[in-house]
Amino acid sequence: MMQVTLTMKPRAKPFLPIEAEMIVPMNFIGSRELFVWEGNKKRRLEDVFTVRKEGNVNSPENIVVILRGDTGRVKRVGEYMSSGIITIEGDIGMHCGNFMRGGNIVIHGNADGWLGREMRAGSILCHGNAGDYCGSGYRGEKRGMRGGKIEIMGDAGDYLGEYLTGGEIHVHGNAGMFAGAEMRGGTLKIDGDVRIPAANMSKGTCIIGGVAHEMLPTFEKTGEKNGMVVFHGDVANKGKGELMIRQVQENSALQ
Amino acid sequence: MHEILIKNAFVIDPIQGIHGDIMDISVRDGRIVDKVSGTCEVIDAGGNLTLPGGIDSHTHVCGTKVNFGRYMSPEDMRAGRTPRRGAMYHTSGYTVPTTYGNSYRYSKMGYTTLLEGAMAPMEARHTHEEFAATPMQDMLANTLFDGNWNLFEAVGDKDIRQAAAVIGWTLSAVRGFGVKLTNPGGTEAWGFGDDLSSIDETVPNWDITPRDIIDTSIKACEFLHLPHSVHLHCNNLGMPGNYRTTLQTLDIPSDLNPDRQTLYLTHVQFHSYGGSTWGDISSEAEKVASSVNTKPQVVIDMGQVMFGRTMTMTADGPMEFRLYTLHHNKWSNHDVELETGSGVIPVYYSRKSPVNSIMWAIGLELALLVKNPWQCMLTTDNPNGAPFVKYPEIIGLLMSNLYREKELDQVHKLTTDRTSLGTIDRELSFEDIAVMTRAGQAKALGIIDQGKGHLKEGALADIAIYPVKPDQTDPSLQYEEVIGAFQQTLYTLKDGFVVNRDGEVIRGIPNRTFWVNANLPDDMDVMKSPRFVEKFSRYYSVDLENYMVQDDYVERGIEMNTHVA
Repeated sequence: MMQVTLTMKPRAKPFLPIEAEMIVPMNFIGSRELFVWEGNKKRRLEDVFTVRKEGNVNSPENIVVILRGDTGRVKRVGEYMSSGIITIEGDIGMHCGNFMRGGNIVIHGNADGWLGREMRAGSILCHGNAGDYCGSGYRGEKRGMRGGKIEIMGDAGDYLGEYLTGGEIHVHGNAGMFAGAEMRGGTLKIDGDVRIPAANMSKGTCIIGGVAHEMLPTFEKTGEKNGMVVFHGDVANKGKGELMIRQVQENSALQ
Repeated sequence: MHEILIKNAFVIDPIQGIHGDIMDISVRDGRIVDKVSGTCEVIDAGGNLTLPGGIDSHTHVCGTKVNFGRYMSPEDMRAGRTPRRGAMYHTSGYTVPTTYGNSYRYSKMGYTTLLEGAMAPMEARHTHEEFAATPMQDMLANTLFDGNWNLFEAVGDKDIRQAAAVIGWTLSAVRGFGVKLTNPGGTEAWGFGDDLSSIDETVPNWDITPRDIIDTSIKACEFLHLPHSVHLHCNNLGMPGNYRTTLQTLDIPSDLNPDRQTLYLTHVQFHSYGGSTWGDISSEAEKVASSVNTKPQVVIDMGQVMFGRTMTMTADGPMEFRLYTLHHNKWSNHDVELETGSGVIPVYYSRKSPVNSIMWAIGLELALLVKNPWQCMLTTDNPNGAPFVKYPEIIGLLMSNLYREKELDQVHKLTTDRTSLGTIDRELSFEDIAVMTRAGQAKALGIIDQGKGHLKEGALADIAIYPVKPDQTDPSLQYEEVIGAFQQTLYTLKDGFVVNRDGEVIRGIPNRTFWVNANLPDDMDVMKSPRFVEKFSRYYSVDLENYMVQDDYVERGIEMNTHVA
């Protein structure tokens, strides 16, 4: 096993974002010099974090990277990671786990927007809340998350799982607007409430354990299952998705 | 005075008839000279391949539809990001990069001159603004006339002089270079929800056919003595069975110009399809190529498709709509009042797709079956067939039968039955490639006299030195080395300055814009024709005075003066 602990140093301008796509377990094998961008300045990783390495291994599976301190503005951590573990003790910035292909990310605080964007495999567990566009595609991209699992113990923001194509997202709290918009595969499970779910979905399964507010009229009710209402849609787009809802908000277009 | 001496260069310069001699090249103040003083900067080319700067005779890098491609695909801007560094601005994008991205990547491949394939006259200002932000690449703008109502009127009257007057005036007014016809008549018909399926079908609301438009434009173009011929994107692009239209179009021009072709057909790969549906599509490249082989008055470019994602963009609005019905991807369509239209849609060319694989093979077939390399230019119709960064791979495919066979194994198996690629064993030489990427283009565009495409004394010192020694390399086996060499020059010189060294931008020197001033005699001046002025003010949404591009937009313009017969 190898444990790499990165502790954020105090910064003069803590608001400046740090682009840290090289924080993936594999990069800590050997003693390659790593750089991050702080705003428009290129910095050595050691200038931004106190780096402590314990142990020495040759393969990334046995590497645990721990991020400590004020990491809420550190972006793109775990981008393209294929194995190993990243543990974030506080909050994490945008685009964490972009294009992830394997391994685990555990976030003890909150995650900012675009968590697990376009991930292919692996798993992300967030103990706090997640921002907007969790598990979605990038703007303009037609495929979001394609595989793997994202679990969020708190709430998620807007556009949760937009263009979701495969894999599973499970939110234990509530989600914002447009969860599962343009879904084309995979499973999206929300235990709490949502607004305007699954707009224009063409495939996949969306399960809402709470109340669906402002449900779209373009879903066709097909029956009931496990105490949930089952819809088929989005018929506006000849979609073949399945939308299951515990309770549809009264006075919405569909009941 | 700035002087450079390039020593030990393995020079191939087809225009001068230099077929691979080790020689020295002297450069003073941006021009090739006979000799330089003993104290100048010396570059040792070390026997590596040295060519005139590359010229792309059909690419889409600047202008409104390119920009529309950029802003409808933010996801594309994630690729190809480089930070600001040294002489380089930051860049981003892969299929439709930023202007600096285009400039630097072309420069890295040894290119120094680009022809923007389609500029709508109404939107010329935007194109020229982007030209100004594309350093190190001299620019030319083909101007769209495919739906120009003033031209249509002249075509209807069978009045070549009037057609020439409209073309000449428009080129001067918008600082354009050549005449581009994109799906002539078809884009105009699309304004009314229709398209044309043959060159003898009548354009709605007009008593003319695409054949009339092409024929009259060619004659008007020669009447004006324009440097470049009519640059034609045929009707029926991308339709199975469209090779018939292409063959009919090829029969239109007679040989009217001794110095260059009379008709330039662009991205012919997209126009050489047999069959009648996507299910039975096949290659008719042999028929098209053999027609080209009998017609010295025609030059074509490949429009090669390479696998991967890209963005299609053309003034051919109806074709882009057909593509949308296939892909259901985000798309755009645009009408340019009285002149033309356009469309943009992203696509992904897949090896698993029989249609895409056949398209890939047809482009290569054309380049290999057209016997004279001066008649077939190497292009991808960037970015329609593939982004231009794929050119080196195409060079590899054309120079190595072995590489072609390997690739042919990877594509859809129907390709072997539906195309003849597997039976062609021709391998192009370095000289053929030099013709297809610069010399032929300079001739076809008529810019040899401007010092482009050759290394004669007095020529512009645009030089590319590639890290490959042709006398010690067998491209048919060492195709990987050849591809690598064409991907990144050792040195790219522009106007006598090293602008790119080992892929790194050394210096971002400003470019020029070549444009044509037709110098029409007074009796051909459309501005003095009450009918023209009255029509303009009635139908255009801008005033005549505001239509014309001011000199501020082409600060580094090079005026090419032509005179009517």
